[in-house]
Amino acid sequence: MAQSSPVRGGRIPKGKRTNATGTPRPLLASEEQQLIQGLLAGNEEAVRAIYARFARPVFTVGLRLLGSAEAAEELTQDVFLTAWRKAARFDPSRGRLSTWLMTIAHNLAIDRLRRDTGVTRPTLVLVEQVPERAGEDEVEPLIERDEALRAIGSLSHAEQRLLARAYFGGLTAREIAEADGIPLGTVKTRLRTALIKVRRANLEKERP
Amino acid sequence: MNCTEVREALAERALSALPPEEAARVDRHLEWCAGCRKEAAELQQAAATFGLALPSADPPAHLGDRVVRAVEAVAGKPGTRRRARSAVASIIAALMAVAGLGWGSLMTGRADRLRRQAEVAQAQIERQNETIRKFRLFLQTVPGRSSEDDVLTGQLVPAPEHVGGGAALVYLSPNILDFAMVQVSGLSGKRGVLPYRVYLARSDGTLLRIGKIKEVSRTSGSGDVIGQFNQDLTGFTTVIVRDASGSEVLRGEVRLNAGFGTS
Repeated sequence: MAQSSPVRGGRIPKGKRTNATGTPRPLLASEEQQLIQGLLAGNEEAVRAIYARFARPVFTVGLRLLGSAEAAEELTQDVFLTAWRKAARFDPSRGRLSTWLMTIAHNLAIDRLRRDTGVTRPTLVLVEQVPERAGEDEVEPLIERDEALRAIGSLSHAEQRLLARAYFGGLTAREIAEADGIPLGTVKTRLRTALIKVRRANLEKERP
Repeated sequence: MNCTEVREALAERALSALPPEEAARVDRHLEWCAGCRKEAAELQQAAATFGLALPSADPPAHLGDRVVRAVEAVAGKPGTRRRARSAVASIIAALMAVAGLGWGSLMTGRADRLRRQAEVAQAQIERQNETIRKFRLFLQTVPGRSSEDDVLTGQLVPAPEHVGGGAALVYLSPNILDFAMVQVSGLSGKRGVLPYRVYLARSDGTLLRIGKIKEVSRTSGSGDVIGQFNQDLTGFTTVIVRDASGSEVLRGEVRLNAGFGTS
């Protein structure tokens, strides 16, 4: 894998942080590895670099699933602490840092949701959010969000809503089936089909 | 579960849309099946992609500093304060009950046991697997437990010129105080060797004492100790048991046990 100039202590050289259009470029595997090593060492620059890139989507998962800024703050801190604890296990050849952090965030948020509201069904009002394109005034768009939007572009409106109910609503397939009065097998198949479409779009995009 | 059943469940698992018991069964399959693991990773990335596509909200301005301080605290920077975590007394009590199921393995160097060693070892392994299975089920009921908790387990083997054996478990969690549980068997209960002192060690040589084993069973030489810690046990993966004179009696390494349904 091609490498740019070395990253020390989580600092990516200024000239290398953006591409020609000035938007942040995706991190190389080596850069992701070094950031995580910096996190493990408690290096402030590394922590801030990871925070700058990933705090917003992590915080947003917390906000959507848990319903309050306070809970989302707590979740964001826990995600970083969990990432610190598991840092030795992060392997950039097996997946991207964004996937790793978002998976931790989602797992912790679902745990908290189910613990706070009971195992069965959350009492929070569902936020059935259909992702929209970033507004022009968004600061520092995460490059991976643009890729993410393209990846889910192949989904129908119904598929996006279904995934949103599972991912952001914390519902199991059974709960969705019962709520909608449709067979469990149908929900399972639809979830699987939708997610496989996103996977296909991801696989078509080469990792830098 | 076979691969077909697991693959049908992987999308739901990636979305956390599986009930915990079913997720645990899928995770156990993924421990050994590389093909399903690869598909699970791809679908996990797809789920994360969906999360990343959402318009993101701005975290409050102070959150960055808070996160930096929290990481510095666990990384051991001097002068930093640790976040308080709850001590879960019930999990300790339940683990004592689990400990009574014969968690520790018996490994002896005595020649007169050689003939039965194979059967004894197999019986021990089966008892341990049963214990692990029950512990997994129990874990699902523990308050404060997170799917991001980690469980590390390992066997203890006797030092040269010593007999006995044991097993250790280290539990890491953001919400529950980290704890370590050690079971031993086949140890002498003679005066002069008791109490045994049980330690966790890190690669840099730092030692943490888990506790003392003040007595062992007369018939099986077994005993156990649990220690909980208001610090992070990450990196403490060596378990050492010493007798009262300071001689090392047992030693072992704990490793992540993916069978407890953690990533």
